[in-house]
Amino acid sequence: MSLSEYIASRWDLLTQAALEHALVVAISLVIATIIGVGVGMLTYRSPRWAAFAIGTSGGFLTIPSFALLGLLIPFLGLGWGPSVVALVLYSLLPIVRNTVVGLKGVDPAIVEAGRGVGMSAAGVMTRVQLPLAWPVILTGIRVSTQMIIGIAAIAAYVAGPGLGNQIFDGLSRLGSVNALNSALAGTLGVVILAILFDLFYVVIRRLTTARGLRV
Amino acid sequence: MFDTTSGGARIELDGLTKRYPGQAEPAVDGVTLDIPAGELVVFVGPSGCGKTTTMKMINRLIEPTSGTIRIGGTDVLAMRPDELRRHIGYVIQQIGLFPHLTIAENVGLVPGLLKWSKDKIARRVDELLELVGLDPASYRGRYPRQLSGGQQQRIGVARALAADPPVMLMDEPFGATDPITRERLQNEFLRLQRELRKTIIFVTHDFEEAIKLGDRIAVLRESSRIAQYDTPARILAAPADDYVAGFIGSDATLKRLALIPVSVLSPSTSTSTSTTDGLPQIAGSATLRQALDAMVAHGRQEIAVDGRVVTFAEICATVTGEQAGVAGERPVSGVR
Ligand SMILES: Nc1ncnc2c1ncn2[C@@H]1O[C@H](COP(=O)(O)OP(=O)(O)O)[C@@H](O)[C@H]1O
Ligand SMILES: [Mg+2]
Repeated sequence: MSLSEYIASRWDLLTQAALEHALVVAISLVIATIIGVGVGMLTYRSPRWAAFAIGTSGGFLTIPSFALLGLLIPFLGLGWGPSVVALVLYSLLPIVRNTVVGLKGVDPAIVEAGRGVGMSAAGVMTRVQLPLAWPVILTGIRVSTQMIIGIAAIAAYVAGPGLGNQIFDGLSRLGSVNALNSALAGTLGVVILAILFDLFYVVIRRLTTARGLRV
Repeated sequence: MFDTTSGGARIELDGLTKRYPGQAEPAVDGVTLDIPAGELVVFVGPSGCGKTTTMKMINRLIEPTSGTIRIGGTDVLAMRPDELRRHIGYVIQQIGLFPHLTIAENVGLVPGLLKWSKDKIARRVDELLELVGLDPASYRGRYPRQLSGGQQQRIGVARALAADPPVMLMDEPFGATDPITRERLQNEFLRLQRELRKTIIFVTHDFEEAIKLGDRIAVLRESSRIAQYDTPARILAAPADDYVAGFIGSDATLKRLALIPVSVLSPSTSTSTSTTDGLPQIAGSATLRQALDAMVAHGRQEIAVDGRVVTFAEICATVTGEQAGVAGERPVSGVR
């Protein structure tokens, strides 16, 4: 059976796996963005704390993904739980780092003007600093996305969702019928997902960047 | 909020002091100053002498180490800082417009914080854009980056004026603009202030600007210690010490002449009997310095002002003679 025939015959299964793959990536990114932007906001003013936050989130990336997923099993069991946690940890570095860089890059005069006209510290953060830092933060989220789309395939190791099941299933049976097709179809799916996510960011970027910053 | 008189509120500083941690000398040392309502007071002094720190303590962007601040009789240090700042206009050299907001949103920000209705804010924004000489229809929807530096600082002033605060703090607001734009902004600003009569503290390190704009000038030395606090004319005529004299420079007399309109020379003092035919002409709104300039430029001892003759001797008499008393008073409406 050729690859295209294989894909046609397993279409429902493959699209189901691809959707789950996209979903686990999206859920992980939402959580990582909330945590990462929060940590960045809390630490960007103190060089020491910012370095600590960036160092720690970078530390997660050095843990091999098989090891991390395996270590999470005793606490979270199998399936979506350890997959999401691992992907969140892997996404943090670019988001934390870009939040710190983005917030530090906001012109201090603009922040002072915000305070000077009587905005509260929280008001200046939400209405001035975050919107101005947003393009940089979004770039971080985009980098995280690219990183974890691939890593998400490994979640199959802990019986997680996604295209990884196709890939690992195929690789473990190499030589038998359709084994190669299965691995290839899964890999192709991951690549297509990565492209689709990236296109999605082009749209998001346009929609969420303040018009005044684009003129 | 504050007791105001004709648009402005009195500002009283008493023993205002700021020590930054880890610094031997206080950045501001016991400043005591009484600024009458509706006056424009210029703080002038060298860089690093504490002008900005003094100013930022008044709107509490910097918390004083000790001392008191009263605006219109109200103790500023007992107020909520955010609330206080909404009633004090603040203009800085770097302008600090919000680049992601339109001009209308920038100008309408403080009224928004004060919970004005949308309609009222929109009307106020248009009124302010008119006031600073920018056509509302074509500017309200633009973004700061689409404006020139001079236009941006006009918006900075409009934003500070938005909620009609009785007090304005301006930290070298025209310092970053080119000389021609600066001169225009200064003139427009003077025209505005004559109408609005706010109490304004204006910081500069440029003594010429201080003379041009100030009702009074506070000449500061290090740690914001006040070397002299008086009208520009009296500081020029009688500098308190060598430090102030050094600030004025060696052309104090010319600077004084620039403060006096030719209209102070009453026709009766004119000793010349000649006609104005063939003499260089200057406008009746000009200053004695401009009159002198025209004489030097044309190599003449006489010039024509609004159809009568003004002589070199008359100008000298204004500086040295009994006219000095008159010259010491700030002209109500003349070119400064
Ligand atoms: N945040 C700060 N921390 C420590 N020292 C400061 C701070 N801001 C200003 N200073 C010091 O206080 C002095 C006065 O500064 P400033 O008020 O900015 O002067 P000016 O506005 O007259 O140039 C300077 O010596 C400056 O170094
Ligand atoms: Mg300063």
